[in-house]
Amino acid sequence: MSWDYLFIQAANGAVIGIIYALIAVGVTLIFSILKIVNFAHGDLYMLGGYCAYYVITLFGVPPLPAMFVSMAALFTIAIILERLLLTPLYSDATERKDEYGLIVTFGLAFFLRNIAIIAFGPFPLKPPSFISGVQHFGNLIVTNDRLFAGSAGIVLILALLYFMHRTIWGQALDAVSQSREAAAIVGINPRRFNSFAFGVGAALAAAAGALIAPIFSLAPDMGVLPNIQAYVIVILGGMGSVLGSIIAGIALGESEGLFTAFFPDPTRALAYTNAFGVLVLMIVLIFRPNGLFGRRHLRME
Amino acid sequence: MRHLHVYILLAVAVLALAYAPRVNPYWMHVAIIAMFYGILASSWSLLAGYAGLFSLGHMAFASIGGYASALLVQWYGIPIPLGMAAGVALCCALGGLIGWVCLRMSGPYLAIFTLGFAEIVRITFSTEDDITAGMAGLHTEPLFRAATRLPYFYTAFGLLVVSLALMGAIVQSRWGLFLRAIREDEQAAAASGIDVARFRILAFAIASGFAGLAGGFYGHYIGILTPSLGGLDLMAVLVVMAVIGGMERLPTAVGGAFAVEFLLELLREYGQWRLPIFGVILLLTMRFARNGLLTPFWLHFVRLGGGARGAAAVVAPGRKDSRA
Repeated sequence: MSWDYLFIQAANGAVIGIIYALIAVGVTLIFSILKIVNFAHGDLYMLGGYCAYYVITLFGVPPLPAMFVSMAALFTIAIILERLLLTPLYSDATERKDEYGLIVTFGLAFFLRNIAIIAFGPFPLKPPSFISGVQHFGNLIVTNDRLFAGSAGIVLILALLYFMHRTIWGQALDAVSQSREAAAIVGINPRRFNSFAFGVGAALAAAAGALIAPIFSLAPDMGVLPNIQAYVIVILGGMGSVLGSIIAGIALGESEGLFTAFFPDPTRALAYTNAFGVLVLMIVLIFRPNGLFGRRHLRME
Repeated sequence: MRHLHVYILLAVAVLALAYAPRVNPYWMHVAIIAMFYGILASSWSLLAGYAGLFSLGHMAFASIGGYASALLVQWYGIPIPLGMAAGVALCCALGGLIGWVCLRMSGPYLAIFTLGFAEIVRITFSTEDDITAGMAGLHTEPLFRAATRLPYFYTAFGLLVVSLALMGAIVQSRWGLFLRAIREDEQAAAASGIDVARFRILAFAIASGFAGLAGGFYGHYIGILTPSLGGLDLMAVLVVMAVIGGMERLPTAVGGAFAVEFLLELLREYGQWRLPIFGVILLLTMRFARNGLLTPFWLHFVRLGGGARGAAAVVAPGRKDSRA
């Protein structure tokens, strides 16, 4: 095994990690406001990827604007879905809300995955590159798409950070996540911000899907594993800590890449790389069973 | 008549068994698969509906039971029923282990954990292809060397009835009450003297054992096992079945399994559209009739002979039927 191979795996791991982090930040945002674990998040990511693909291929829009169109589309779709399906979560008449949220998002994931097979076909699709070509770093070759996906992912996460800390809507989201009642008293409509948080989370997932599409291909079941990886990152990185998510995302991406590189049986390495992330998740859950986030006041009731 | 619904069910069962030889092979196959899902949906309802342990690893246990039995029969030439029993024992043990490991996990975390378990089982089965034949499928010994599916039909029927009787006895006993208490409020249940850990592990072990039984039968009936048996898609179909029927009662969960399986076959001309349609039905059921679509019918049915007293006894253990 050469050093070059390791470096390529490491560079790929970093890019994948940033994309994971982007998905995980959405999961965190939705959890902190709606208090549900969104099982359909990976499928929103998948829809985002396809949406960008069709905007590019059908309307001839360049990839970057297509990503924003896809984010806007998923933002809207997610708000509609949230209005239709998740409103019982805010009613006192609903018993055992986490069970409700769980079955509904799980069912939504099942629905979206199967509708995607019909609408988009089971075969992998690949949109054109954001920036074609490759960069040479010594012996190391990285495609521009990977560089672009990594940097765009970081920019989006920074934009979210800015939004959460420096704008009034972001502050309102923060207020709702701390206390719905107190937020309502100072004039924030918690329901509106539930929808908004779900939409923003979905838009970030859509961006991740659009960014990853030229690197890997689009497939209807592409969201299943990133969904699981997002939980790993959220647990490892800590609730609300966006920096933690980025670090955890890169750490997971790196360890997956290195796992592939060092797995003794190369024919099985790729298959077990997927299992590796899942195994990390299970082990972490054994030691942190109290939740993805550990912060007591955010525990689901 | 006090137990009118029991007699009606018995009569239907006798009719079904007597009529079975005249059913054409295709619908008999559908009925056998429906009964396979019936065992899975009812045991999942024991776990998720009664104990509130929303496991997404149930199909993985069916897969483990199927592969264990098939491989044991293939390697050691043991009789198939013995292999199936070994599969059940393995699933009980593994289920208990999983139940023990996730004792401290609640709701969504347990779901994530068991989902992870199922994915690892699926990936392992499809990757270790020198043992399991991977995605190509593992050929299994048939349970009967008969020209018709009739023996399988009777076996599936017997397994379903025995499973339902055993699980019914459990949920009617104090254990069932304990499980529901754990579902409603774990702390309160513990404060009332229920050994929460013991019953959570027991629920997992029992339900997984039945899943292993169903999987073992399925493997020796179909003749080929693939890792997708334990995949997320079939797990979702199982959730659809149990939730549409009503996951908080065993009979409604079985009814849901039968209804969905037969509808899947009847709507075959709609091809791929069937799964998303059932996804929508699942979402609508959760949104507007969370107790399940069959639950009201079942309650009326049970009330047929029993009058108000019987009805109260049936309604009381469950949850309020009205919800926003």
